[in-house]
Amino acid sequence: MPRAPARGGARLLLPAVVVTGAVAGTATVSVLMTAFGLLPLVGAPTPGAAAFVALGGDLLLGLRESLVIATLSTLLAAAVGMATALLLVRSAGVRRRLGALTATVLSVPHLVGAATVGLLLSGGGLLPRWLGVAPTAWPELVGGGWPVAVVLELAWKESAFVALVVTASLSRRLTDLQEVAAVLGADARQRLLRVTVPLAAPALLASAGIAFLYAFGSYEVAWLLGRAYPEPLPVLAQRLFSSIDLAARPQAAAAALVGITVALAVAALAVPLLRRWGVGR
Amino acid sequence: MSALGGRVAVVLLALWFALPLVPLGLWSVADRWPAGAALPTQWGWSGWQQAVAEGGLPALGRSAALGLAVAALATPLGALAGRALAWGRSRWHGVSAALLLLPVALPPFALAMGLDVLLLRLGIPGLVAVVGLLVAYAVPYTTYVLRSAYAVTDPQLEDQARMLGATGTQALRTVTLPVLAPALLAAAALAFLVGWSDYVVTVVIGGGRLVTAPVLVAAGASGLGNEPVVAVLSTLMVVPLVAAVLTAPLVARSLEASRTRR
Repeated sequence: MPRAPARGGARLLLPAVVVTGAVAGTATVSVLMTAFGLLPLVGAPTPGAAAFVALGGDLLLGLRESLVIATLSTLLAAAVGMATALLLVRSAGVRRRLGALTATVLSVPHLVGAATVGLLLSGGGLLPRWLGVAPTAWPELVGGGWPVAVVLELAWKESAFVALVVTASLSRRLTDLQEVAAVLGADARQRLLRVTVPLAAPALLASAGIAFLYAFGSYEVAWLLGRAYPEPLPVLAQRLFSSIDLAARPQAAAAALVGITVALAVAALAVPLLRRWGVGR
Repeated sequence: MSALGGRVAVVLLALWFALPLVPLGLWSVADRWPAGAALPTQWGWSGWQQAVAEGGLPALGRSAALGLAVAALATPLGALAGRALAWGRSRWHGVSAALLLLPVALPPFALAMGLDVLLLRLGIPGLVAVVGLLVAYAVPYTTYVLRSAYAVTDPQLEDQARMLGATGTQALRTVTLPVLAPALLAAAALAFLVGWSDYVVTVVIGGGRLVTAPVLVAAGASGLGNEPVVAVLSTLMVVPLVAAVLTAPLVARSLEASRTRR
């Protein structure tokens, strides 16, 4: 008999692992070396943490801004996404109407989302026009003192993602278990708290974790809709990186390295937590 | 929750999802929309003419090509890895699965900077680095989708086909691939979206010389007075995807119907 295609040997993993490892590994090492002065664009390497020192407070403010944006948008996305999922699994009619809408939002690129949220929430945007508020009287949601529009755009897109993931995990088993609980005498509130929420929790936490990491590393939304200062890490890094001052490159890499480190730390903290909650089982 | 409360919640959520898309529709057909006016005072197609004049069509073509390239590479990689993770057992599984998910945690702007720094030194063309990085970002999705699909497919189907005389390749082509077709399509669609939607990787690597549709949208949206052309380009980026999303269930249903009729 001719040789069968491998059922699942380690060598089938090799192409994906090599591509991912080579690209991500090379890029990360290059960021690390640039940040510590080992990979200057011109001239001899100057090893040291000068780039971090030069950035100083901006680095910490940028990190704080990134964490604030990611935390707020994730909380909002998780709440709206969970509510949407609960309605979607409840009736086929809702699923037809709201389901198509969430799928649409999911397929909108974040950059397009940022552009259209700008056209909705800025002083000359659709909302003040429709509410009859003069542009000067409208609060500065775009580029103002708080990253309101940034958080809303990220929450808008990611709530569709959370809704999709939670709905997929719920629809398989929910109806049966709900019926069993009802037969056993559980009222609507008990069914929600004792059946639906525990069933949805792993998918909700996993999708919220992914949404957090996305928001934390996202550039274009904060760049288009955010305030000028303080800038979140991605915006700070990209401004320095595209600066004509070549000395700014190690600083850009320093901001990027902080971003990579914090994101990996968050992922490393989240994964065991998710395991304990039964995600991936 | 009462029936009325449920209905109110559905309306509020529909508003939450739909309202941000309304400005795109209105601005894309607005020739004049002075400040304060609730609706455009003059409707027309000037935004579309301007979008074409600014090279919108070739830019959309470049985005589509980027999406197709990412899908063409990331889908087979994900299929191989998904097959290994779902059907096989080896001590490399845990490490590999973690490594393949890693890009989800790594900020794209940071990795793009890392690669851009190396381009000149290593002599790698910018386009190769852009596609390579986007493939790394698409592989977690394709692997996840195809791993799930392989996990619910019985590996013995291939064995049975081979016992009936099929070669290994024939068994793969005529038995496993048709069963996996919907998942392969879904994985390819997700990978396509990674390339089609990308902005930051294209801009950081090679300084934005590859003018894709998002690069034009960003250029317009970061300036003033470009609302119509931004809305037109954004609409053109969204409509094909929405059409695909909305027709996918219909296509799946008709496929299902034709299969059961046979």
